[in-house]
Amino acid sequence: MNPSPLGGPADGLAAASALRAIADRLEDVEVERAMRAGWSWSQVAEALGVTRQAVHKKHLRRLLLAQIELRRRFGE
Amino acid sequence: MAMLVSWEVTSGVARQFEIEAKRDGAKFIEAEHMLLALAADSDGDAAKLLGESGLDYGRLASALKEEHRRTLACAGMNAPNRELVTATELDSSLTFGTSAKTAIRRALLASRQDRPRRPRLRSTDLLAGILQAELGTVARALAIAEVDRAGLISRTGRSE
Repeated sequence: MNPSPLGGPADGLAAASALRAIADRLEDVEVERAMRAGWSWSQVAEALGVTRQAVHKKHLRRLLLAQIELRRRFGE
Repeated sequence: MAMLVSWEVTSGVARQFEIEAKRDGAKFIEAEHMLLALAADSDGDAAKLLGESGLDYGRLASALKEEHRRTLACAGMNAPNRELVTATELDSSLTFGTSAKTAIRRALLASRQDRPRRPRLRSTDLLAGILQAELGTVARALAIAEVDRAGLISRTGRSE
């Protein structure tokens, strides 16, 4: 069986992949926005429904590059 | 990426992989970014082959954009405004995503068959490796553009 790249499950799977990529980029933007607004790691994690450690690991590097003040919130 | 193979793909084209990925807002270099980079290298053999099939950079970019639009429409969505999904860019180089790694692996296998002792990765090998994916973004974009993917592969001297 050689499924077509267009139509049927191919469309649905491509959409799932595209939406995952958009969701990932949206998370980057919104975590950055929340931290600029003074949210804590714990608050961001709770809003996303993941652990604080997961948010920290995924976003710390970019937040530092964005020069967002994080020091006061490291211990939370 | 470290490989026991000579790259005939120029460093300029390799740099263009990342430029295309970043332009797309992607976190990884995928096969479609490599395809655009090959098409952008107008003096390269791959770009010439693509051009003979009427696929210049602009047409490829349009086909990929249309593929993205149609894909999101399948889920009842429009593409979001770019500003809404553009965060601070990391300063590190992008790495290859799965589709790009698969294309490179296919290209390397083909080049090793030709020259087992001193394989060379030519731009046309890489083009064939990209086109050999029967599913995914590139295959979808080419189908939308009504490009004969199999015919294009055979023009690279490879088979599906």
